[in-house]
Amino acid sequence: MSRFLDLTLNGVSAGMIYAAVALSLGMIWRATRIVNFAQGGMFMVTTFIASSVIASSGSYWLGFVVALVCGFVIGAIVERVLIRPVEGGPPLNAVIVTLGLLILLQALAGMIWGGTPRSFPPAFSIRGYVVGWHHLGFSPQDLFTVVAVLAVAALLWALFQHTEAGLRLRASAFAPMVARLQGVRVGRMLTLGWALAALVGSLAGLLVAPSVFLGPNNFDPILVFGFTAAVLGGLDSPPGAVVGGLILGLCLSYVAGYAGSALVTLASLVVLIAVLMVRPSGLFTRARVRRV
Amino acid sequence: MLEVDGLVSAYGPVRAVDHVTLEAPAGSVTAVLGANGAGKSSLLRTITGMLPARAGRVRFDGTNITRLAPEEIVRLGLAHVPEGSGAIAELTVEENLRLGGLWRRERDDRGKALGEVYDLFPRLGERRRSAASSLSGGERQMLSIGRALMGRPKMLLLDEPSLGLAPVLATQIMRRIRSLRDDTGLTVLLVEQNAKSALAIADRGIVLNLGRVVASDDARQLAADEQLRAAYLGF
Repeated sequence: MSRFLDLTLNGVSAGMIYAAVALSLGMIWRATRIVNFAQGGMFMVTTFIASSVIASSGSYWLGFVVALVCGFVIGAIVERVLIRPVEGGPPLNAVIVTLGLLILLQALAGMIWGGTPRSFPPAFSIRGYVVGWHHLGFSPQDLFTVVAVLAVAALLWALFQHTEAGLRLRASAFAPMVARLQGVRVGRMLTLGWALAALVGSLAGLLVAPSVFLGPNNFDPILVFGFTAAVLGGLDSPPGAVVGGLILGLCLSYVAGYAGSALVTLASLVVLIAVLMVRPSGLFTRARVRRV
Repeated sequence: MLEVDGLVSAYGPVRAVDHVTLEAPAGSVTAVLGANGAGKSSLLRTITGMLPARAGRVRFDGTNITRLAPEEIVRLGLAHVPEGSGAIAELTVEENLRLGGLWRRERDDRGKALGEVYDLFPRLGERRRSAASSLSGGERQMLSIGRALMGRPKMLLLDEPSLGLAPVLATQIMRRIRSLRDDTGLTVLLVEQNAKSALAIADRGIVLNLGRVVASDDARQLAADEQLRAAYLGF
């Protein structure tokens, strides 16, 4: 029973990281119908930047904030410089651009920071809470992960639902041409959307780095899991991203605990294929007709 | 208010608007008529910058707007209500309406404008929290027009406001457009396939065929011209 509890708690904290990645992929998907594969590279770079800042300043939180700000800026630059020229063209072009960027970022990170994975400090202790005689598989760092991702999700929800910028962002995503006729500067909204998405991604990088280590390719599985979570919940639905991340986190944790950790990646692919076969639009997206 | 001079636009090699010249004086309702594919919608799309002009000039309220982007043109007071579902289905009725006034600096006036739209279309007030996707065709049309009014435009370009509506509703919408002009002095350029009901509320009419202006006259003269009616207007 206690093993089940540990696996469940583990699954929740891992799931929250997948949820953050899924949220950032979903935001870009909703706004531009592009799956941003470069997300994995972008949050790897921001985490490396955090690592350098922490090493030179000694302050974890300074590195944390710098990484989020860099994420925001990098997201905006990527949209403005690389994605804007291919927007409106065939979607495949943009996807290839993001794949190219992923490879470019990984190569650059290898040149700057080296290919050997390094450790990354957690914000809080990674020793499990002690209940009675038992060490729970849930640490203050895990708690921080859950709270941070939920807080960011709530802030994003409030931004999108209750601010003017949010209304503009949603209008630009749903109907760009109609939005332009209402005076919305859709180009700026796309840049803002990418910037916000990359900020959420960089949070995921900071949270996952202590457990998977930091290297040019160490976040690749996280991107795959995040993508699976996004498809599971429905790329169009932000609550779906959170729930999708949670479900996937739990599934993978149980598989790792009861069947062996070698099967985790395989399990994630099985989940992905099962969802695509049964409910391709995701668990939380209502099927709807798009007029073309 | 609006002067279009020798305007040309095209979809690839297909010319949609072919040297169109027209003038819509302030406070008038001008009907743009013609069959399907005559270039009516393309004319509006070219005026508001959704379709680039290949030649010619558009002046609005003294400003040359030929090369301006749609989002800048609406800021000058020229609102375009696009054909079909201009309402954004995923947003609520009120969000759709608020969107129309977001660009305005006069924040205090936005609430007042919203109240006026609800006065004009009480049905929208009743459904303010509903998703626009749940509205009927007529309600959506009201929503699109109401949203354009949120920006307190000087001029409204309406693309087929009666398309797909029951005749009773179509008449109702036409009457509203006319009363908007009468009450607020709004200038209107009205694109319609339903020539009869458009000419009934218009001051002037223009008939397009294959992108060219084939007739331009007083609305009553056009409605009385048997030959023109038979050739282009189908009533």
